[in-house]
Amino acid sequence: MSEARFKLLVAPPAIVSSAILVLLFIVLLYYSLPAIREYGLGLLASPTWKPVEGAPGEYGLLIPLAGTLVSAVIAVLLAMPLALASVVFTEEILPRGLHRWREAFVSMIDVMTGLPTIVYGLWGAAVLAPLLGDTLYKWLHSSLSFIPLFSCQPTTGNTILTAGVLLAIMITPFIYAVVRESYRQIPRTYKEAALSLGTTRYEYVRIMMGMAKPAILAGALIGFGRAAGETVAVALVVGNTFNMPSCLLAPSYTVSSLIANQFANAQLYPLMLNVLVSGGLILLLIGIASNILGIMYLRRVRYVA
Amino acid sequence: MEPVEVKVSDLNVWIGGSHILKGVSMKAPPGAVTAVMGPSGSGKSTLIRVINRLIDLIPGARVEGKVLLGSLDALRADPYEVRRRTGMVFQEPNPFPHMTIYDNVAIGPRIHGLARGEELDRLVEWALKMAHLWDEVKDRLRDYPHQLSGGQKQRLSLARALALKPRVLLLDEPTANIDPVSTVKIERSIMEYAKTTMATVIIVTHTPQQAARISDHILFIYQGRVVEYGPTREVVLHPRHDLTRKFLGGEV
Repeated sequence: MSEARFKLLVAPPAIVSSAILVLLFIVLLYYSLPAIREYGLGLLASPTWKPVEGAPGEYGLLIPLAGTLVSAVIAVLLAMPLALASVVFTEEILPRGLHRWREAFVSMIDVMTGLPTIVYGLWGAAVLAPLLGDTLYKWLHSSLSFIPLFSCQPTTGNTILTAGVLLAIMITPFIYAVVRESYRQIPRTYKEAALSLGTTRYEYVRIMMGMAKPAILAGALIGFGRAAGETVAVALVVGNTFNMPSCLLAPSYTVSSLIANQFANAQLYPLMLNVLVSGGLILLLIGIASNILGIMYLRRVRYVA
Repeated sequence: MEPVEVKVSDLNVWIGGSHILKGVSMKAPPGAVTAVMGPSGSGKSTLIRVINRLIDLIPGARVEGKVLLGSLDALRADPYEVRRRTGMVFQEPNPFPHMTIYDNVAIGPRIHGLARGEELDRLVEWALKMAHLWDEVKDRLRDYPHQLSGGQKQRLSLARALALKPRVLLLDEPTANIDPVSTVKIERSIMEYAKTTMATVIIVTHTPQQAARISDHILFIYQGRVVEYGPTREVVLHPRHDLTRKFLGGEV
């Protein structure tokens, strides 16, 4: 194949796939405009959700937006220690002699990043939510109810906290993969330098983790982006109720679960579809922002003094 | 702190299938610089990595023999204990990129709880002076090392090791990639550190010139075996072995 033809062959797919992001943005913005014009800032700031048949209702996305942020933050806070501990375990604790075992363990975590998210959702709804509702949430409420986050009486396992826990389990493998890949790239000379100072394994790992800090931040951001955008698994456990997530033991909503739940009957209500699309637009922006920031941090990972 | 003699007896090291060190015996006395010289691949780096047990990091390495640091049996002792008493400078300048110049020097004393506050400041200053770097960095101790030249970074790595006042200082071709000015400063530091603190200094070098300039004793290794060991003057001026003569003449 000639040079020119080869270039012609590979250029269009690359251009198209990057153009899709731009098109996606334009289309979402276009369909959001009627809602933005009608509700203005209230779209973000109003907690009201009153559909009216045949007439524009009152729609504000404050509750689902808060739900998305709260569940994603919980997810990142819970997932970080899990992911970092897993990196330390597979890279430093599993004996070097067991190389094959280590790689098997690593692959098992990696496989989890590719599983259909509905599988997590089903497990979350059938096992995790009832389990947490019957045990942890009752305990949190009875012993820590003076903390506003745990002040509400838990009635079900389907809560914003369950969504956060499930999301944490789902994003841990992603964060693990991002941090592990960077951790493995730390040149041997730094490891030797740290150990030559007589560090214990704990002190040594602290120095190495300090060196991998940009990758850790990148992992957190990319994990946050995934958690904020995750839809089906969350929809199955979050409770889907318009309820401010100021108490974690109550059902709530997230933007993506709202879209998933309301999309089918949105046609019946004028403007509701536009409101849902504007929610999608916000998710797109959150996703783009967290990924760009994450990639920027990853680019900063250069182990050269 | 009492002087520590390094004594290696009948050391054999295998990595994977290959026999890297074959029955090496040597001594490095305190208050002196011992140069380990030989062509690349002769096992020099492996030898000093056995002395501070960094050899433990290499998968498939097997070590037999005896290494004494004073009375400490280095091959049987806790590796952390061994490394606390030894310091090391590597071929690549490797100050930690995420720590300031000050923190790079302070990290060792901090981890081992040796000094705090002003006492730590004084220790950092002492180490940087010992490494002949103080004058160049004293006004930017809070900067990160990426702004330093390669030679300055290497002197910072040296200061990091010196801050723990190791009784045994190991250097693995520390000036191989360093500018001539820094090389001179590093060589001076090494000699001064050995003489003023009665430390035992072992430096791996592939240039006989460097060995001649700074060492009191020379160990010449070739293909994993000790060819010649003796006072530097004798080895350089009157080598007993043909191989040593060839190496000194640049033929090996």
